[in-house]
Amino acid sequence: MSALADTFSAFIARQTGARSARVIDFDKLSGGAIQDNFGLTLDLEGGSRPDRQAFVVRQDAPSGVAESLSRSEEFRVLQAAFKAGVTAPEPLWLCEDPEVSGRVFYVMTRAAGSASPRKLVKADFTEEQRRNIVRRLGAELARLHKVRPPQESLKFLALPDPDNAALSRVALYRRYLKEIGEPHPVLEWALNWLEDHAPEPGPTVLCHCDFRTGNYMMNGDELTAVLDWEFAAWSDPGEDLGWLCCRSWRFGADDREVGGIGDKQDLLDGYREASGIDLDPAAVSYWEVMGLVRWAMIALQQARRHMSGEQRSLELALTGRMVAQMEFDLLNQIQELEDGQ
Amino acid sequence: MINQPETQDLLTEARQVLLDSVAPELSGERKYQALMVANAMGMAIRELEQREHGQPEQTDRTVRAFLVERSLEATTGDAEEGLARAIREHHLDGADPALRSVLRTLTEARLQINNPRYLKRES
Repeated sequence: MSALADTFSAFIARQTGARSARVIDFDKLSGGAIQDNFGLTLDLEGGSRPDRQAFVVRQDAPSGVAESLSRSEEFRVLQAAFKAGVTAPEPLWLCEDPEVSGRVFYVMTRAAGSASPRKLVKADFTEEQRRNIVRRLGAELARLHKVRPPQESLKFLALPDPDNAALSRVALYRRYLKEIGEPHPVLEWALNWLEDHAPEPGPTVLCHCDFRTGNYMMNGDELTAVLDWEFAAWSDPGEDLGWLCCRSWRFGADDREVGGIGDKQDLLDGYREASGIDLDPAAVSYWEVMGLVRWAMIALQQARRHMSGEQRSLELALTGRMVAQMEFDLLNQIQELEDGQ
Repeated sequence: MINQPETQDLLTEARQVLLDSVAPELSGERKYQALMVANAMGMAIRELEQREHGQPEQTDRTVRAFLVERSLEATTGDAEEGLARAIREHHLDGADPALRSVLRTLTEARLQINNPRYLKRES
């Protein structure tokens, strides 16, 4: 660990031109199975960022997910989002030379607060605080969605194919399900429903694609950073809003549709105020159903990684057993949507 | 072959020791791991219980009967696979209440093992 701290601090000292860098604190942060995050606090002497600085270093983990972006690509997405005014960690330096630490990594600023979903959902916010948080989430997405293709720095991101993000997702998930190779009648049924009920596509925009409670940092009631950009893609704005509202990410606070925090109307209001675009709540509901299917696909893939022996892990194995929950939610939610029409 | 006490009994007892004595002594990642182990054992216990009551066979019969009623192939292979294929190939009407009921039966049978508390979740 300390050798790694020295490696990163020497790299940062070189980048800032500091005369010296003293490690004050270095720890591995909780994160996914896809990448390792390290918190690194340094006292830098001289250079472009003198004095005490808190950084996060994000580096590839030994096991990756095929569908996620590489660290270099993620760094470029983060740059684009940061430039668009999204409250994200400031991307500082990318190191693509594997000689430095053994893997590709990048350094960003460290935001204050916590991303713990359980803590956030249980927090004792007033109704007004809830409204403000949710409007802010809407505004952050609106800023991100102002980034539209083509973008030279983001040319590695695929465009929806067919030219309809919803149908493109349906085709992708059908392919996944086929590759997984076990029967899932509920998911097949939900995919047919998604195909038959696809709304008029919105504009194609830069989507975070994993924007949910647990992936943004809050300091009290203040949003300090949107995290985890490795699933970013060109897609329909509804995909990000639907994922955020998806039942799976309410962490027990089922009646608060937006990530267990607040109401959907406030999210849509925040989005409209920042973008001038009025999104159709029905389209967001549609993308919530898509979100349930997507999460089921991810869970099935994680279980496969365990079963194939690629990465034996009790956590991955148990995630596979969660698929029935998504299927149960799909049956209920599609019925509710139809009853509401 | 007599092999007493039963596996289900052993697992139930072992899980209780883990939850009552081991997990409270742990914190952080270790506690999380202990709770995951208890969760996995809980699934194994419930699955043994369900098998004892012939629940998997009953669910399978329900799916098979539905397919036969719709004149779809159900005599060979796995009934759930047959149902998945029939839906994928658009041989069934997605709005058919009987289809939805079969899908619900399948899902509830799996949740009964994986997470029975989730069934009580308000929809």
